[in-house]
Amino acid sequence: MRKLHMWPSETCGAVQIIGRDMREKKVEQYDVVIIGGGASGLTAAIYCGRARLNTLLIEKSLMGGLATYTNEIENYPGFPEGIGGLALMELFHKQAKKFDVKFKLTDVKSVDFEGDVKKVETFRNIFECKAVIVGSGGRPRTTGATNEEKYLFDKGISFCATCDAAANTDKTVMVIGSGDAAIEEGMFLTRFAKKVIVSVIHDVGKMDANEIAREQALGNPKMEFMWNTVVDSFEGGEQLETVNLKNLKTGEILPVVVDSCFEFIGYEPNTEIFKEKLNMSKRDYIITNEVMETGVPGVYACGDVREKELKQISTAVGDGAIAGVEAEKYIAETEVFANQIMQKERIGMIYVYSAIDAPSREMLPMMQEIEAAYGDQVKLSVIDQYKGQRLCDRLACDVDPMTIFYTEDGEVVEISSECDRPSIFDMLNKLVAKPIEQTA
Amino acid sequence: MQEVMLDCLGEACPIPLVKAQKKLEELAVGDVLIVQIDHSCAMKNLPEWAREAGHNVEIEEVDDGEWEVVIEKVK
Repeated sequence: MRKLHMWPSETCGAVQIIGRDMREKKVEQYDVVIIGGGASGLTAAIYCGRARLNTLLIEKSLMGGLATYTNEIENYPGFPEGIGGLALMELFHKQAKKFDVKFKLTDVKSVDFEGDVKKVETFRNIFECKAVIVGSGGRPRTTGATNEEKYLFDKGISFCATCDAAANTDKTVMVIGSGDAAIEEGMFLTRFAKKVIVSVIHDVGKMDANEIAREQALGNPKMEFMWNTVVDSFEGGEQLETVNLKNLKTGEILPVVVDSCFEFIGYEPNTEIFKEKLNMSKRDYIITNEVMETGVPGVYACGDVREKELKQISTAVGDGAIAGVEAEKYIAETEVFANQIMQKERIGMIYVYSAIDAPSREMLPMMQEIEAAYGDQVKLSVIDQYKGQRLCDRLACDVDPMTIFYTEDGEVVEISSECDRPSIFDMLNKLVAKPIEQTA
Repeated sequence: MQEVMLDCLGEACPIPLVKAQKKLEELAVGDVLIVQIDHSCAMKNLPEWAREAGHNVEIEEVDDGEWEVVIEKVK
């Protein structure tokens, strides 16, 4: 039996009515929460799931993201015959499920990235986790023309040819835009519609689409182009009937009677809930470095939501893989750092060396001898700065190799670069309960 | 607070959205509408419309390619 449908009464009680804001949210814990179920988020989920992290992916509606808006994908490797966007994303989803990733279909209301435990809040839950991967992608841009909002949501304006092409069989449709998406999806629409009128902002013959698509479109007998135009307004009754285009050169308004209008004028990032929490570009894309770090420890961004050059499924997959692996490393390091390096049981002696620095490397056996001499009073940890720079960063100290951090109760009490035997014994003898004689 | 099921299985866009919009009008604030759908196109417009309208939305994937869109009427 599914208990899903009980939520208003389940938490409020059958007789007791509590205000909506008062309803207690259920708190759940995960290792990683991934926000967004597009190509990058699903890839990150595959990597995290396969690394046996307890992983939750939150998607606000249909799994697969923007790729599901594309009718045919011909440039994703591995599918020489091409594959539908929805079909490809179903395969991604299936693969993530195989690695035990949990899925939740709802939108994220807010996030809290401060501290080691991150919080991701939906309207019924608070998910606590060690790392967050943001793959929230983008959404189609709208023209902002008069009456546009009146005809969204199946009242005549669409952003998805794959979804609505069949409903436009033998109809007249308009396409707004001249980029790859507009021209390729416009050509796809000609398989159904009797006429596809394309509103292009540029001069005659000029498009933003790639050259091959442009030539094919110009030669397509069902396609008609209206150059130098933008949408001025949408008109009609319940359903869209007319798109009024404006000629940018003459200022003339050109009414065009259509059954549907498809807008392909680019995307805007879904980053509202990350404002002031993550670094963003002027256009509100999240800025990351090449390993998808956002600058907030444990928070990564991948896919179209990132400020980057090429937004494709294949690049989103690369981003997602990196973010997944980095999140995994971050979580492992956090555990090693808290439970081993900063342990509280004994006096700690953290020796920072570098694998490529012989003098510091050669001191390792002596450090181990000293640890052994103190029995169970001292715990030695070694950090190879060459490989474990991030562990060094967590000690919040930029040091040279051959540095010792002394800790007591999990807190650093002394930092010293004196690595000779007498100095170390002196220091440890000050810290331990039972000082010992220096060994040879 | 009542809970209403709306069966839109087997129905393609825009029918699930239109039906859900009509049904939600009849409901009171706090009521919950559960729309059963099995066309992925409705997964794109139905939740988005309901959220834009200010309602709370959560979706359950009941089976491969079959969903229940749970809409709590907020206003």
